[in-house]
Amino acid sequence: MADRDQPRIVGTPFRRVDGVAKVTGRTRFADDLAFPRMVHLKLVRSHVPHANIKEIDTSAAERIDGVIHFVRGEDMPNTFGILPVSQDEHALAFEKVRFVGDAVLGVVALTEDAAEEATRAVKVDYEELDTIGSVEEALVTSTDKIHEYGDEGNIHKKVSMEFGDVESGFDDADLVLEDTIFYEGNTHLAMEQHAAVAVPEGDGKITVWSATQTPHYVHRALAKVLELPAAHIRVIACPNGGGFGGKSDPFNHEIVAAKAALQIGRPVKICLTREEVFYCHRGRHPVTMHVKTGFKKDGAIVSQHLKTALDGGAFGSYGVASTYYTGALQTVTYKVPRYRFDGLRAFTNKPPCGPKRGHGTPQPRFALEVHLDKAAHALGMDPADIRLNHLQPKNSVTANWLKIGSMGLEECLQKVIDGSGWRQRYGKLPEGHGLGIACSSYLCGAGLPIYWNHMPHTGVQIKLDRSGGVAVFCGEIEIGQGSDSVLAACVAEVLGIDLKDIRLCVGDTDLTPVDLGSYSSRVTLMMGNAALQAAERAKELIAEAVAERLQVPAGQLVFAERRVFDASDPERGMTFSEAVATAESKFGTLGTTGSYTPPRSPGRFRGAGVGPSPAYSYSACVIEVCVDRETGCYTVPKVWIAHDVGRSINPALVMGQVEGSIYKGLGEAMMAESALRRLPKKRSNALVHKFPSMLEYKSPTFLDMPEIVTYLVEDPDPNGPFGAKEVGQGPLLPVMPAVCNAIFDAVGVRIDQVPAHPQMILQALDDKARGGPGRYGPKRFPDVSWGEPLRVPTPDEGGDGKAINAEQVGVRGGTMKEDPEGVKS
Amino acid sequence: MIPAEFDYAAPATLDEAIGLLQEHGDEAKILTGGHSLVPLMKLRLARPGMVVDLRKIDQLSAIEMDNGSLRIGAAATHDAIQHSDLVSGHCAMLCECAGEIGDLQVRNAGTIGGSVVHADPAADWPAGLLAADASMVLVGPGGERTVAASDFFVGLMESAIGEGEILTAVSIPAQSAQGGAYLKMAQQASGFALCGVAALVQVEGGNVTSAKVGITGVANTPYRAAAVEAAVSGGLEAAAGHAADGVTPLDDIHASSAYRSHLAAVFTRRALETAAARAGGSA
Repeated sequence: MADRDQPRIVGTPFRRVDGVAKVTGRTRFADDLAFPRMVHLKLVRSHVPHANIKEIDTSAAERIDGVIHFVRGEDMPNTFGILPVSQDEHALAFEKVRFVGDAVLGVVALTEDAAEEATRAVKVDYEELDTIGSVEEALVTSTDKIHEYGDEGNIHKKVSMEFGDVESGFDDADLVLEDTIFYEGNTHLAMEQHAAVAVPEGDGKITVWSATQTPHYVHRALAKVLELPAAHIRVIACPNGGGFGGKSDPFNHEIVAAKAALQIGRPVKICLTREEVFYCHRGRHPVTMHVKTGFKKDGAIVSQHLKTALDGGAFGSYGVASTYYTGALQTVTYKVPRYRFDGLRAFTNKPPCGPKRGHGTPQPRFALEVHLDKAAHALGMDPADIRLNHLQPKNSVTANWLKIGSMGLEECLQKVIDGSGWRQRYGKLPEGHGLGIACSSYLCGAGLPIYWNHMPHTGVQIKLDRSGGVAVFCGEIEIGQGSDSVLAACVAEVLGIDLKDIRLCVGDTDLTPVDLGSYSSRVTLMMGNAALQAAERAKELIAEAVAERLQVPAGQLVFAERRVFDASDPERGMTFSEAVATAESKFGTLGTTGSYTPPRSPGRFRGAGVGPSPAYSYSACVIEVCVDRETGCYTVPKVWIAHDVGRSINPALVMGQVEGSIYKGLGEAMMAESALRRLPKKRSNALVHKFPSMLEYKSPTFLDMPEIVTYLVEDPDPNGPFGAKEVGQGPLLPVMPAVCNAIFDAVGVRIDQVPAHPQMILQALDDKARGGPGRYGPKRFPDVSWGEPLRVPTPDEGGDGKAINAEQVGVRGGTMKEDPEGVKS
Repeated sequence: MIPAEFDYAAPATLDEAIGLLQEHGDEAKILTGGHSLVPLMKLRLARPGMVVDLRKIDQLSAIEMDNGSLRIGAAATHDAIQHSDLVSGHCAMLCECAGEIGDLQVRNAGTIGGSVVHADPAADWPAGLLAADASMVLVGPGGERTVAASDFFVGLMESAIGEGEILTAVSIPAQSAQGGAYLKMAQQASGFALCGVAALVQVEGGNVTSAKVGITGVANTPYRAAAVEAAVSGGLEAAAGHAADGVTPLDDIHASSAYRSHLAAVFTRRALETAAARAGGSA
């Protein structure tokens, strides 16, 4: 049918479907909800970083007016966690606490104030244990283990894999370059703090509204911890006031609210304070990296060895996936024929790290792009050319077995090179002014689900009736990224109706088909494909009925302008609602479904599950900086960025995501950091946030935003709906390295870590003035014995995607087995 | 992030306000802009039982000349001061100082009195007021008294204001300087000064012959950089090197003490140079 080639909505900057409600305050976020007889929950949180709990004394708290109930950890003995291999959290700690902020008790009161006051009156007696504050400490501390599971000691996960003979590659190289680089942790800083309301139903069931990006996983965690059949629990994800990965885990406050509601038979609400959000965290892992690369004279990479060490914090969260992600996507931008990756994640007594925009990939991308910049200078090449001349080809398979489809990076690079005047300006700007270039790539959803199953990753259901209205049901969650608009646009496009004719019902585990959640940049591609399938099926039904009524071949019918008509005689037709009524008469009640499962990836080795995606987006970025040599202060006056989005469903939203990524990326490059400090031993030795509030945590404001020139590159991907790929995460990644590369062009020093503070630039300048290399960054990578890597021959070597030494390497002890009984059906 | 319960009063006269302070004693806190008090209340670090809002007392926001001195009412907003022709004509450096505070929203609501009394070691006003030899007008149950800026900022978050006293105005004497400047490096999240330097200079034959320099953000109290002032006739760069003489620079999560000392020297030199370049116009 012809209209898919000439879309009327897709590709236009239409107004987002949730926009008016958002700007007029009518969107109901979780914190906006209230129910009759509702009471309030607060959590008592540990102020010590690592301790056994000896006693919890609630006697003073009980006397506070309005306090009605306490929820205790012993009542919820089952553990939970986002990954089946890291079910290491209790809803409330009852044996030991593992970080400052770990929740130990729930307090329920008639008012939020009373609950808050009561949390301060609860006395917890702790027997303190040694604290582990860094990867280095975790590597040498075997007593006082934070968890009883893990690969060894306090190492949560250790992976090592080699694709091709990396050492022989170094022997063939003309230049071997090594760098040690650090990326500080940082947090999501969504405007909305987490909130949830649990409402017990009359029949023993329960409904939980929550600001979550992943209602499906919250659903599973609730079933496991509450020991209820999942079918008796309904989770409704409210639109999120920003997520960025920070609402992707099931959280203890959601579970405790539900438990309290069941215990007392009243609706229970909890809203976290900003400080609590800083401690719940799940933000960017601090990662120390070592990268060693062999180059040919022309800049071609012959071999690369990347090592990463992640400071994981106190719980597993997504950490196993995060660890693999620090090594997975290094190969998808430039040709890396031989590649070794060693990564580890340590448990420390800090707020747990998890996924943040770019999940595990911005850190190694920063390392790689800074490293490439240095290589270009060492080889006497233009940093743009070392990238441009060695791109990974489209429709190829990388050394680590990732299948690349469309690949628009060359065009992205050309756009920013031309736009920024790179060829005329790089290396030639006045002292203190500089340009930096970097590229990146990101997934359009993970190829495999978080827990092993063969079911679709997303589903869409469409209900049509004689009113002409079309109701679309999907488990996706609007987190501000525009997924509601994508869903409505895909369906409206196919059925030839207006966006306003669509009613969405999303993120409701009772009513909507499962969608795994708004993370991993998966929604547009996966949900979009499911929506197209459901809409095409609806269109087929309608077309069949209308064809019969009009005596026109179904293939000749056009769905457009809210009508269904004969392409050769547009007058001959009917309104869309008449068409639906015609179909309803013929077939009975109308409904269709669509679903999507990603294609199988070619990797067949342990760890091959992280990295594959139906498609990869690409970005290239040039950033200009002005550096004040005397103070080290610098500004970013202008950014040029090009993003290969495959095809824009809505270019206005795509531009918004790209510019939002610049905002976030500049924050990470210049100022944002979830740094912790250890209080003096006499003051509890606790590891506390340096910046646990927005009065102190630094993030750019509107005033700090530079001029941004955005280019959208559209190289449609056959796996994307209408050819669309992701845009929510990829464009963030080149920003940080481009800033540091620009600082080098401006003042000739290397800042090998982010955020790059003015003080670091000054120190590097001092270092250079004293005859040093002019560098600020980590001195060394921790000593780790990696053992025998999993050896996987590359496609070029004629490999079949399997490891050749899987048996010798075996499976390390560090993963938990998912208890199939844990989740009742 | 929700303050504890409190009562609120917005008296129409100064006498009424003083009466409320006497009545409520330790329980009372004065609000004029709220940028310091409200965050403390939201974090529950401050739990006043009574908040006395002075913004309804008209005379407190007046900016006027008084016997050759400029009198800025304590409840005058930063923005009003930044854009006041009177202030600009009397000591333009103070307009620049006002304009460096926070952002537009902060300057629209925040007041000079609120800032000064809070005595935050990184606030902008103290640097400007110290350099301009300002004095603070305090009214209490015992009547009115005046305290020089150099005696007013006595410690970290601690001023010379007494129990039950209200700062009603800041008084700035006639200036003999020919040029002035306020330059700062702001902490990016809060906008407070990691280092802020106010300079007023007299120039003869193109050379700075005398200077008054106030520095904020560097030590635990804002200070007059006496060593800089003493050395200024010997060249600005060398003089600026003494910017942190005699103080212990703060060392905290936002900047190390070494970096603050360095910034103090750099910004002092720049402020002196800028002030000198402006000499000839209004200081």
